[in-house]
Amino acid sequence: MTEPTEDRSELYLRFSRRGMAFLLIIIMALGATALVMALQPGGAFSRMLEKASWFFPIATVLGFGALQTSLGKNRWNPNAPEVKAILSDEWRRTNLDRAMKVAFIVILVTQLPLGWLFGVMLAQLSVLRAVLAMAVSTVTLGMTIFVATFLYLDRDQG
Amino acid sequence: MSEDGLHNTLKVQRAMRNLTQADLAAQAGVTRKSVNGIETGRMVPSVILALKLARALGVTVDTIFTLEGADHRPAPAD
Repeated sequence: MTEPTEDRSELYLRFSRRGMAFLLIIIMALGATALVMALQPGGAFSRMLEKASWFFPIATVLGFGALQTSLGKNRWNPNAPEVKAILSDEWRRTNLDRAMKVAFIVILVTQLPLGWLFGVMLAQLSVLRAVLAMAVSTVTLGMTIFVATFLYLDRDQG
Repeated sequence: MSEDGLHNTLKVQRAMRNLTQADLAAQAGVTRKSVNGIETGRMVPSVILALKLARALGVTVDTIFTLEGADHRPAPAD
């Protein structure tokens, strides 16, 4: 039996949100890992992460597989009318624009505190490590804020 | 009413036709969230979306959307 369009549309919407939440987790995990490795390249935690580097791709594939199973028999087909509606949806595009603005402002505002943190507080870091840590934290923060803000704005409201 | 002073009767028009937000969204080719965003005044739709919604409801755009305090007489021709 074919599912009603309304149900399929809701299913794809939930899938899309779960996908974004999953992306947020990956960004945060990778960012935190990269930051630890930049700050303490020879530290115990960094060595442990290096040994467990196989874990990330496997966890990503498993997570993606779990996401796909949440769709049941349906597949994310970009040509399906419900998926087209989601991809070109004005409300989501508006929220993407808003989230991008918020992320941009947060990145701008946090540059000085981050510079102070890595340049002054962690003065024992080499210049290269400090620059690397600053770049990683900026990218991670920006992407995290962008996805998190989008998920917040895109939530259901009465 | 939205921050831009745009007033809309989308919820009323939809209720008059016994349509859910999802029904109307499917007819207009958007998601339920867009319809919800417009109804709650959190989103100002594009002209294209306004026209799609009007067509889905079988009314004109200005039946659904009006500008708060606007004079509804047509502007004089030059």
